[in-house]
Amino acid sequence: MHLFLTYTIFGLVLGGVYAIAASGLVLTYNTSGIFNFAHGAEAMLGAFLYWEVRYGWGVPTPLALILVLGVFGPLMGGLLYLVIMRGLRNTAEVTKVVVTVALMLGMLYLSEWFWNPQTDRTVVPFFGITSQVKILGADVTTHELIALGTAVLIGLGLRLFFYRLRIGVAMRGAVDDPGLLELNGHNPERIAALSWAMGSFLAVLAGVLLTPISGGALQANSLTLLVIDAFAAAVFGRLRSIPRTYIGALVLGLAASYVLAYSPKTWQWASNFRVSLPMIVLFVVLIVLPQDRLRGASVARTRERAHLPSVRSAVIAGAALVVVVVLLRQLMNDSDITTITLGMTFAVIALSLTLLTGYAGEMNLAAVSFGAIATMVSYHIGVTGHGLASRSTLWGIVVGVIVTAVVGAVVSLPALRLRGLYLGLATMAFGVFLTDMVLMDSNPHRIPLIHTKFSLFSGGAGINSLVIPPLRIGPLDLHDGTTFLVTATVVFAVLGIGLVALRNSSYGRRLTAMKDSPAASATLGQSLLRLKLSVFMLSAAVAGLGGVLMSMALGSVTPDNFSIFLSLSLLMLTVVAGISYVSGALMGGLLSGVGFALIVSTFHDLASRHGSVHGLFSFLASFATVTPALIGIGVGRNPSGSVHDFVDSYRSLRHRPRVLVGGGAVEAVLYVLSLTNVLGHWWFAILTSVLVMFLPLVGQMSDPARREQEAAAVPLELAGIDSPYSDGLRAELDRALGIEDLLPPERLARSRRNGRRSDGSGDRSMTEPLGAGVGDAGT
Amino acid sequence: MTAPVTDDGRPIEGGAEPILELVGVRAGYGAIEVLHGVDLVVPRGSLVALLGPNGGGKTTTLRVCSGLLRVASGELRVAGRTVNGAAAHDLARVGVCSVPEGRGIFPNLTVRENLWLATGTGVARDRVESVAFDRFPRLGERRNQLAGTMSGGEQQMLAIARALATEPVVLILDELSMGLAPLVVSALYETVAELASSGISVLVAEQFAKTVLPIAQSAAIMLHGRVVRVGEPAAVEEELASAYLGG
Ligand SMILES: Nc1ncnc2c1ncn2[C@@H]1O[C@H](COP(=O)(O)OP(=O)(O)O)[C@@H](O)[C@H]1O
Ligand SMILES: [Mg+2]
Repeated sequence: MHLFLTYTIFGLVLGGVYAIAASGLVLTYNTSGIFNFAHGAEAMLGAFLYWEVRYGWGVPTPLALILVLGVFGPLMGGLLYLVIMRGLRNTAEVTKVVVTVALMLGMLYLSEWFWNPQTDRTVVPFFGITSQVKILGADVTTHELIALGTAVLIGLGLRLFFYRLRIGVAMRGAVDDPGLLELNGHNPERIAALSWAMGSFLAVLAGVLLTPISGGALQANSLTLLVIDAFAAAVFGRLRSIPRTYIGALVLGLAASYVLAYSPKTWQWASNFRVSLPMIVLFVVLIVLPQDRLRGASVARTRERAHLPSVRSAVIAGAALVVVVVLLRQLMNDSDITTITLGMTFAVIALSLTLLTGYAGEMNLAAVSFGAIATMVSYHIGVTGHGLASRSTLWGIVVGVIVTAVVGAVVSLPALRLRGLYLGLATMAFGVFLTDMVLMDSNPHRIPLIHTKFSLFSGGAGINSLVIPPLRIGPLDLHDGTTFLVTATVVFAVLGIGLVALRNSSYGRRLTAMKDSPAASATLGQSLLRLKLSVFMLSAAVAGLGGVLMSMALGSVTPDNFSIFLSLSLLMLTVVAGISYVSGALMGGLLSGVGFALIVSTFHDLASRHGSVHGLFSFLASFATVTPALIGIGVGRNPSGSVHDFVDSYRSLRHRPRVLVGGGAVEAVLYVLSLTNVLGHWWFAILTSVLVMFLPLVGQMSDPARREQEAAAVPLELAGIDSPYSDGLRAELDRALGIEDLLPPERLARSRRNGRRSDGSGDRSMTEPLGAGVGDAGT
Repeated sequence: MTAPVTDDGRPIEGGAEPILELVGVRAGYGAIEVLHGVDLVVPRGSLVALLGPNGGGKTTTLRVCSGLLRVASGELRVAGRTVNGAAAHDLARVGVCSVPEGRGIFPNLTVRENLWLATGTGVARDRVESVAFDRFPRLGERRNQLAGTMSGGEQQMLAIARALATEPVVLILDELSMGLAPLVVSALYETVAELASSGISVLVAEQFAKTVLPIAQSAAIMLHGRVVRVGEPAAVEEELASAYLGG
């Protein structure tokens, strides 16, 4: 009884802190439509800052609290809104997710930069550890009482705020219609900024309260993942209701506390289980939640755009990629090859995101975790031989990929009935669950009936890692680095071409229809569930394949190799590059597999070699770790991704073969110089990127048709009235109206022969039709 | 009490000065221009009907007038002052009250909370409630009901109650009739007529001219983002058919 009481109180306290965090999340989500993945990171920064002020600077507790809770928290939230979140209006859900994910990663790196994770930092409970009271015979620290009291006060305070204050009512109104709020004489910007300030305050408050309760030192990662506990609670309140969020948080806190109290000591996995509890609760809640209503009226026009390549050009690009990689291979040494191979396997994983997010508009925040499943399966059933002679078999990979697809179905099924964001949350919860629970399973269990010992993620003797040998299929042996690199590239190219073909098929069009308007797509008789499920399974399979290849490239993998943060940064970089493009996946994969690791290690090398400017270089190294996050945050400004801009800029070169040939010739010269060691490899890389970036510019400067293009700056509906009606203009109008889709092929061919633009039909733009405006030109 | 207006919309010498005025306004959504130079005048104290087929740009024009959409070029004037670029909430505070297309209410707030938000323009809460409940006793009965659960007509009453209570200088209404029974519509327009006769200037957009022309002092036809005809209601009515059919 005594034990029960103690743990009940502990559970309530824990639940109270979760509730504080979760209500902040619900608040900002409702007023701005942005689900803040950085919420836990804000709590983490707040906790670290509190430690710094209180113990680092030695400021007395009350003053430290005022500084951190009263000033830093609200200020951070308000600034985040004004600088970043405000720019996210009319962007797709994935863009919003990526920006906040980038923010989360950025804050995490920032904290590691400021506060070395190796140092232990403990926060003493308020009034000290010995300050306790007895409640019905159970000892409760004053800190815990304060936390519980604060949670109750916050709950009541929010209730009063939302129902008794006009600005609170206005905040609720902003959820429905910010425009109408403005017509009523309120400033929605100010209201949204206030809600972000409040949300951030609540996050920081939860962060400051939590650490002394759960005990131990401050840990950036686990505090950041507090967001998952918060969203399990928030999902319980359907991301809307704060009272229900409170109930969810209390259930969560109590459950965690009871597991801690009553699980037998022999269950080694119980502590892992406790960590994973929020994820499990999240899944259960997702299954129970009623289906979301489809809202047809609120189809938002988003700012994301993409061009769709034809299969033919995809084949050409794929072949070109393989040739380029083979050529580059000549310039590389062995360690470079391994790194590039790793990048290429990441690119394969990123392809799963192109399919799922770019084409179908759904989200997977744990792509790399799906790779872990395929890796485990292929380790357990697909390895032949011993020691250095051991090889993975094709059979193992095939079964691994199939199992991954099935697991993908199981994970996504409960969330697919709901809005896209829920799927994102479910996958993230799954990813964390996998690394916390499944991949930690290194101690052998005795399997009951067959009496053999077995553990999911261990190469034996309790070691928490797996050795994945290279693949051999007949004569093809990936033991050789070059063979592996070329094979990985070919796999990427083939899958990429497959994706483009898929996108061009009727299945692909259905996916796009679903992405643009689920409601309209459902009224056309599509089964959204079947469509979503199939695309998710397909994408999980691709991620699984990429994951096995990644594990092979690494040789030996630990749970860290499948960390959720890796999945998140891969998603982020792929969105930055252009999530709707296969080339975006290539760039995103290479960047996360190679790019930043290379830059950071280069700076670290430089720092250790040049003692005198050590500070500068290690600053640059730290800064480089934050850069990807900064780039990710910037995606709000350019949500279509950089590949999109790139494609746009090269589009203008299509009818300028001379510029292209010239550029190719220069590049060939560079290559030969580099091959013969006249030019250093770094110089080759730098000059090549300069060439690639500036070629479109060169093309534009020397373009005879430039004047015509400038004429096209006249609004389309006035073209032909305010500016001469030229062939180029007609092509432009055709494109805007989507006429290439409508004309029979023979007429299309004829008009293309006449037209100045001589590109392929795959050049269709998915830009929204300008039909409404253009119609006027005829009258 | 027909306001003296010439054919191109300018007030005749000696007529009431314009309270709301658009001069050569161009505006649109992103790269798409929807209004290609709109000229429109609402003289003080009169009710102007903006007519025209679907997609003509009426809603866009009203969004410009209320400050929700920016003027790309041209001028928006309120009481003679140019207010290009003013935020909608600032315009609301100087007396431009706008009821948007669809239902101008917050469906997930109660009737009382909706009215409370109407005080954003500076009126006292008590006053808003007493005016609204006096004029529409039905709203009083449903004061604590979620606005979104009321009938369409009641929702529209609530939207108009805001205009009644906040005593705006200009009232802008967009398709009050949308989706409502004819009887409800004529009741709503009776209220609008009362408001107009109490001295408030009104700009009403309607697709169905019959409902609004009888109470209007002047009418404008909007087609393809331009005002193509301005005149007395009776005169404009004759040309309407050709505006809808031809172009
Ligand atoms: N949010 C928007 N984005 C792009 N175009 C729009 C948007 N809203 C309206 N339009 C276009 O503007 C034109 C005028 O629309 P609107 O002002 O709503 O006309 P009306 O109210 O007279 O029916 C239409 O061609 C419509 O397609
Ligand atoms: Mg309209």
